Amino acid sequence: MNKKIIEAVDISKIYGRGVDTSVTALDNVSIEINEGEFIAIMGASGSGKSTLMNILGCLDKPTKGKLILDGVEVSQLDDEELAAVRNKKIGFVFQSFNLLARTNALENVELPLLYSDRSNITELARKALVSVGLSDRMHHLPNELSGGQQQRVAIARALVNDPEIVFADEPTGNLDSRSGVEIMSLLQILNEQGRTIVVVTHEKDIAQHADRIILITDGKITSDKKNTNKIQAKEVISDAGEQFPETEVTDENR
Amino acid sequence: MKTGRMMKIAFIGLGRNKLRTFLMMVGVIIGITALTMVVAAALGAQERIVDRVKQFGYETLMVRAGGDVERGARPGGEVTTLKIEDAEAILAEVRSVIEVAPFNRRGRSDVVYQDKSANAPLFGVTPGWSTVWNWHVARGDFISDRDIEQLARVCVIGPTVQRELFGDLNPIGEVIRVGNVPFEIIGVMEERGISAGGGDMDNRVFIPLSTFMRRVANVDHIYGIRILLGSVRDVDRAVEEITALLRERHNLVPGVPDDFTVRSAEEVQAMVEGMLGTFNVLLILVAGISLIAGGIVVANIMLISVNERRREIGLRKAVGARKKDITTQFLFEATAVTLTGGVIGIILGGAGAVLLETITQTPTAISWISVAVGVVFSVLVGIIAGMQPAKRAAALQPVESLRG
Repeated sequence: MNKKIIEAVDISKIYGRGVDTSVTALDNVSIEINEGEFIAIMGASGSGKSTLMNILGCLDKPTKGKLILDGVEVSQLDDEELAAVRNKKIGFVFQSFNLLARTNALENVELPLLYSDRSNITELARKALVSVGLSDRMHHLPNELSGGQQQRVAIARALVNDPEIVFADEPTGNLDSRSGVEIMSLLQILNEQGRTIVVVTHEKDIAQHADRIILITDGKITSDKKNTNKIQAKEVISDAGEQFPETEVTDENR
Repeated sequence: MKTGRMMKIAFIGLGRNKLRTFLMMVGVIIGITALTMVVAAALGAQERIVDRVKQFGYETLMVRAGGDVERGARPGGEVTTLKIEDAEAILAEVRSVIEVAPFNRRGRSDVVYQDKSANAPLFGVTPGWSTVWNWHVARGDFISDRDIEQLARVCVIGPTVQRELFGDLNPIGEVIRVGNVPFEIIGVMEERGISAGGGDMDNRVFIPLSTFMRRVANVDHIYGIRILLGSVRDVDRAVEEITALLRERHNLVPGVPDDFTVRSAEEVQAMVEGMLGTFNVLLILVAGISLIAGGIVVANIMLISVNERRREIGLRKAVGARKKDITTQFLFEATAVTLTGGVIGIILGGAGAVLLETITQTPTAISWISVAVGVVFSVLVGIIAGMQPAKRAAALQPVESLRG
């Protein structure tokens, strides 16, 4: 918990030009995230939390400011190097899953590997699916899976290239509460194995799963505190008397 | 990123929308089908010319009255400077010449037998004609030296004339009238088919050259001399020697152009091929236009597809696709469509060419050239049509496309 994995300095994102027409989504935000942290970025819709995550996850470029990711200054990278960062260091989980339609679970998980130089693609994708408990759903198409299962496929896809950081943008937003808890449990397990997790959410319950909660209001960080009453999703599930789904994340699978 | 993976991604992309993929393909299929048929017809025509020239032999030359200037429009009427004596001199003085066949001709003449009539060119020839053309009678006799001496009113007819006037009857010994002059038929020529220039060589009437000159046309000049050489190797030297000899005999001082034209079989072939070439270029242009239309359809649908797949493209970028990968993917998709369309077009075009040959008797030839032209053009159309959509896709920002 000492190595800085993300360091954002004075990041601003302004949409549009001109005094009246430009919108400042992020206003001089600075943030440091250490390796192995579980962070929740919280805020109302339009607060700039998604913009912040997109910039931290190298999906978007800040209008100004500096982003250092694992010791590399991202703004200096060209398209090819940036693609390599997205491919190897970052895993993304989206609210709407973003799985390719008419493409089975295994092929969806293989996607990041197609853009890497790895050769044992199918094997790695298979392991990732096993690790999120979908060993019996590998050849199912997205429309044959439940929302929770689809999000687990998406998590497998985010994990398959063994990234250091996993970003999740409202990962439970499209799920029922039970599936949502399962997904949070999965993310907590990943975090316990040492991966840095950043979750963006507007729900306090979801944010409570993190170690540290950052609050964003109108493009500015208004609060950055350690979470003192962290929810353990695993306990919630067993409290409810439910069997935890066939999730078996082990180091061997990483 | 490996090519195999790239192709897999492209084919999966296409497989997701089969109807659209098919619609993209249709234009290319039509274009390549047309192109393949045109190329097959062009090659067939060329093959036929080469066949003809080969059949007549490359070791032959043709001397025609009139220089290059007089070809085509001849305001002063026929050129009258070429004589039978020129032919005799060529045979006597040019060493490599084995046989000469001086001849004169008249365009279409009415040929009448009883109540039937035909229309055929009339040729005045010598016995050497048969040797020089390597073309013989199927039945009866060819014109003999005696016929020449006697100015005999005899003729040899081509198989087309025979069919038209006599049907299955034996025409030997019958009398036909050519321009009101009666001729006794002494022979029927072998089938010879279409000439390199496209004329029906079987629709002709041959009479002795002497008879033609004195009794029919009343002239003392000839139209041309067909010459047989000992070997193909002699062609160039023989052309030079004959030219020099004829210039001397015609008293042409240096600076005055030739009043005759010497052509080798090869030159004739090149000339006809040149003419056909122009025609072929036009046909290929027409096929090309349909291909361009096909390409525009592909480009348009690809652009729509890029727009609809912003999310997919963004996702690919988010998981590590480089601009290059996205460009390649869309270029591959476009090319896969056009190449598949091209292969279908080649097959359809080949079938079309065979059909064309059976129905219209137009000769066609399908060779690796047709296939290569089809493949190259379909790939080219794919790359050109896919370029703009691919660039647009690659330029999308990952975050932009995720909002969709």
